[in-house]
Amino acid sequence: MKNTWVLVRRYFSQEVRNSNVLFSLGLYLVGVAYLIYLLNGGGVPADKTWNSLLWIVVFFGAIQLSTRSFEYESNDYFYYYQTIAGPAETIIAKLLFNSAYIAVISGLTWGLFSLFFGNPVFNTLLFGLALLLGSVGCSVVLTLTSGVAQRTQGNATLSAILALPLLLPILQLTSVLNLQAIVGVPTGEALNLVASLAALDIGIGLLAYLLFPYLWQD
Amino acid sequence: MKGLSYKITGLLLIIFSLSYGLWTEVPELPIIEQSIRNLFYHVSMWFAMVAMMAASFGNAIGFLTSENMARDRRSISLAETGMFFSILGLLTGMLWAKFTWGAWWTNDPKLNGTAITMLIYLAYFVLRNSIDDPRKRARISGVYNIFAFVMMIVFIGILPRMTDSLHPGNGGNPGFNSYDLDNRLRLVFYPAVLGWILVGTWIAALRYRIRNLEE
Repeated sequence: MKNTWVLVRRYFSQEVRNSNVLFSLGLYLVGVAYLIYLLNGGGVPADKTWNSLLWIVVFFGAIQLSTRSFEYESNDYFYYYQTIAGPAETIIAKLLFNSAYIAVISGLTWGLFSLFFGNPVFNTLLFGLALLLGSVGCSVVLTLTSGVAQRTQGNATLSAILALPLLLPILQLTSVLNLQAIVGVPTGEALNLVASLAALDIGIGLLAYLLFPYLWQD
Repeated sequence: MKGLSYKITGLLLIIFSLSYGLWTEVPELPIIEQSIRNLFYHVSMWFAMVAMMAASFGNAIGFLTSENMARDRRSISLAETGMFFSILGLLTGMLWAKFTWGAWWTNDPKLNGTAITMLIYLAYFVLRNSIDDPRKRARISGVYNIFAFVMMIVFIGILPRMTDSLHPGNGGNPGFNSYDLDNRLRLVFYPAVLGWILVGTWIAALRYRIRNLEE
């Protein structure tokens, strides 16, 4: 467990040091949000469209992030990391880091959308919860598929192809929850849906944890 | 010829369901009318597909635990056969949808589930083709196969129950059985399902043997 934190800190400092990547991700978020604003003629999209646009922006941001997820573990670095930590610690660290990262991306996107198109969300707590659970789910799928893509000698587009169909169930469930938060369903009544999304996250997280050791060997 | 009895049983069941399915008496229901006969041909494709994919999933687990390459060859052969059934199921379903719902494609959870299932397994085939080393390919695609199957079950088995669907048995409808599956239909439907699963096993076995010869 101690190693896991070391790894998370290591990923974090890698990310901070690599500032041009951070800037390009930020630029992407602002650029796309503004592109939608321009194409929409400065108008406010309907709630459903607002929600789908938000998830499309988050989705591509997350894909961009995940294709780089294992770039430091290629070639000789792979053996170096193997001497530091086992597969179980690696996957937990990756999942924690990527979940937090995607949650930050989705939070930023929500902020940008509020700035440009106004904030239609009625039940803020439920919406935030849905974003968080959706981010965790996305990070599980993307981490596993980018691990798979990395083991095939770093084919970056493969990760997106593998992840896309697997992400749809999570995104669909999340966006149902988001729409409920927008129209203002009380948190108590949406608990059923929250619980199923959380169960799905935990289930696939566990599955990723069990499967990762088979990927993480040569 | 190995396993002659199951092959003949499968063939006979399919011949029975194809022919008797056309002349048996069916319940007269509004809108569906005679197209209810498609139940024998369309729904049995999905049962056969899920059976093939489940067997492929089982063999993927088998490979990861035993590192036995034969398991991997079985897994991919079964997945290919499952894909074949899903294409047939999609075509028969689109035909049925056109005559009962009025459109080739509708925004129905089960249709979305099908589209995504096919995308998932196409991605699986792409993944397999992008790795050269057989042992590594078996291990990595096995991991993806297991993950993909679980997501597929979530998508086609669990999500549709939480949303409304045009299909029977979802969105408040209590179940498939109480719909209209009376005994006359059962008599043809169950043999059709069993027959297609047996013939699917046969197709997969042939593909597996072709693979063995290629190695």
